[in-house]
Amino acid sequence: MPPLCSTSPTVHPGRQVLQICVVIQFLRRTWRQFIGLCIYLLVCSFIWSPVVDSASSNFNSGNDRTVHPIKKFVMQSYFDRHRELHDLVFDNFVSQEVNVGLFQVLPENHDFVPRLSVLKRNLIGEGSHRHVSTLLKFQSQQSQSSSQLLSSSCDLIVIERLPTGVFADPFELQRLVQRGVFNDVDVFGDTNLELPSFLSKRSAVEIHLAVDPNKLLEPTDINIELPLHARYQPLNESGYSTVELGMPDILVRCSTMEKSENQNCFFKVTNNDADVQYGADVIWRIPSGKKAHSDLVFAITFSAALLSTLVIVLSSLEYSKTRRVGNDSKQS
Amino acid sequence: MRSLEFTSLLLFSAIFRVILIIYGEWQDAHMEVNYTDVDYLVFSDAASLMASGDSPYKRTTYRYSPLLAFLLIPNSLIHRSWGKFIFSASDLLVGYFIHFILQQRKVPKKLSNYCVMTWLFNPFTFTIGTRGNCEPVVCAMILWIIICLMKGNVLQSAFWYGLIVHFRIYPIIYAIPMVLILDPDFFPSDQKPILKNWTAAQAERLHDGNYLYTLHNLFKCIFTRNRLIFGLVSAVVFFLFTGLSYYLYGWEFLHEALLYHLTRTDPRHNFSIYFYHIYLHYGYDISVMEKLISFLPQFMVQLVLIFYFAKDLPFCLFAQTVAFVAFNKVITAQYFVWFFCLLPLILPWSKMKLKWNGMLCILSWIGAQIHWLMWGYLLEFKGKNVFFELWVASLVFHAANVNVLTMVIRHHRFSSFFLGLKDAKSKNVAKHE
Repeated sequence: MPPLCSTSPTVHPGRQVLQICVVIQFLRRTWRQFIGLCIYLLVCSFIWSPVVDSASSNFNSGNDRTVHPIKKFVMQSYFDRHRELHDLVFDNFVSQEVNVGLFQVLPENHDFVPRLSVLKRNLIGEGSHRHVSTLLKFQSQQSQSSSQLLSSSCDLIVIERLPTGVFADPFELQRLVQRGVFNDVDVFGDTNLELPSFLSKRSAVEIHLAVDPNKLLEPTDINIELPLHARYQPLNESGYSTVELGMPDILVRCSTMEKSENQNCFFKVTNNDADVQYGADVIWRIPSGKKAHSDLVFAITFSAALLSTLVIVLSSLEYSKTRRVGNDSKQS
Repeated sequence: MRSLEFTSLLLFSAIFRVILIIYGEWQDAHMEVNYTDVDYLVFSDAASLMASGDSPYKRTTYRYSPLLAFLLIPNSLIHRSWGKFIFSASDLLVGYFIHFILQQRKVPKKLSNYCVMTWLFNPFTFTIGTRGNCEPVVCAMILWIIICLMKGNVLQSAFWYGLIVHFRIYPIIYAIPMVLILDPDFFPSDQKPILKNWTAAQAERLHDGNYLYTLHNLFKCIFTRNRLIFGLVSAVVFFLFTGLSYYLYGWEFLHEALLYHLTRTDPRHNFSIYFYHIYLHYGYDISVMEKLISFLPQFMVQLVLIFYFAKDLPFCLFAQTVAFVAFNKVITAQYFVWFFCLLPLILPWSKMKLKWNGMLCILSWIGAQIHWLMWGYLLEFKGKNVFFELWVASLVFHAANVNVLTMVIRHHRFSSFFLGLKDAKSKNVAKHE
């Protein structure tokens, strides 16, 4: 049997085999160039992907869940009744929800009130994309209702009411849910992520964390980090706008199976006697345009556009002239 | 052996793109920063909405034709990377079309291969397709339209032109040069046009008043059979697809897919020189005068380029696209692919040598971009107020774009795309003698 890729002229393998031989010989000769090309391309793709990304990135997202399971999210109930987020209205709403739910499960003289000993807020990061971190430390306390609680499944609900200057990306938050950081999360209110802050309304983020009810009566640490992004701010003489993040509303919702019915009740976590610590930078400084630049920018932008138009027109004109001149000198 | 070289180039590019797609999936799953473009997630969501019978426009920021969502329906049925494979395949198809066009115009194989490599191995292009951006599909369609014109298939080119304007509005700028090229001198009745081949000669013999001749001809016989077919068929196709989409998805489609692009003013920072001006005046009413001033440079440049270069169709399209992107109100990196796909078609006719004019063009363009990106990084990731400096960087980038365009014009060897009847006859006469 003759060797497959022999170059002896007396051997005549089939046409396909001949083609494969030619390819293999070609590859043998050029493999070094191919390896070099591979390395070049891999390096380029690493260099260029952030270039392409940062220039074409925009905060594309949307709230595509139009139907929520009934009462799954507290904020959904709020926005079912109200069009916009107003602090006073919201405070009333929360106390209503909490009071209504409270008496369904526990006796009137229950004493389960989760209390915080420490509440720390911090803004981590730089630039337009940061994280707001909330550290909760519960107080240890005895509760007579603890036996009933043991049979419940509880959710820690953290509601962040965001000012118009910042927003949360629902899709980024969904990825966190997929990675198991939160149980569930959703954004309510104004979810248009492209408009500047002076044309936007407020939004709120509701985060659900599964929590063992016993842990709420012991000194436990819970740390929540929420990624936020800055909107374009209104113009400011100083060049920076400040956005202040308020305190989150923290609720606990426990549901028990009572007479084969799912019953929910809410508890508002109080922090009246908690050691509330604000990190120095829960105040976010976001760059904003300076009105003083308006006229100069207008003048120079449009002058530059007209100048470059002139340059292109003149180049085309000159080009056509040189072609004609060149031709004349050729023909003469 | 030479054609094998192109086939092996194509094969190698294909394998490389597959590897990049697989790597992209890995990076998405394991790293904070995604490889996949955010737009791809938008398309996928819109496609899955369409698959379940809903309107794709329920997905906010989906601003494309429903055809794109339709193309990506298998994303939810087969695998979420289906779209990326489609886009990378279009990417490779563009490479093949470039090779085909250059071969038809008898460009020497070595030169042709180098030109194809400027597309297949351009970092912008292979990252765009593998990251899930739909621009390669648009580029493939444009090149196919050029091939149809080359073969004399006016009907087919009109169909694809109507479709692509429905898909992405910007090719409307190519309408005038395409109508101009359907000159009865180039497209005599019932005859295929004759392509003008590549020559190593320095300059093309041209008749005096070359352009006025075209314009004069245009006014004399604007209603030739070919021009009428092209105009009517492309308009019918455009309205057909637009009408169908409107019937299916109503005002949402019209607003998101068409009107948004025509009236888009995004105040967020991008390469355009207008971004800071738009931000500083956002929310205020724009006077008619101001609208006119911002539209005028773009309009004038397009008209001038068409007037001088329409006969050399690929060059005209390239120059128009570069100018269109440079003067646009919003510029994002994906727009660069629009002229990268036309660049290999004009390179064989450029007198510019890589050393050092070519290198200067490339480096100044890339350098201006990196300069802008540096200020953009300081603004977005470090929170410093550098709006003014970023705007100056966008002016510098605009200057680099204009510089590249004028350099390319100056070093171009004008070559008519088709041979006119008279030229063809004189060539035949010369052959027989």
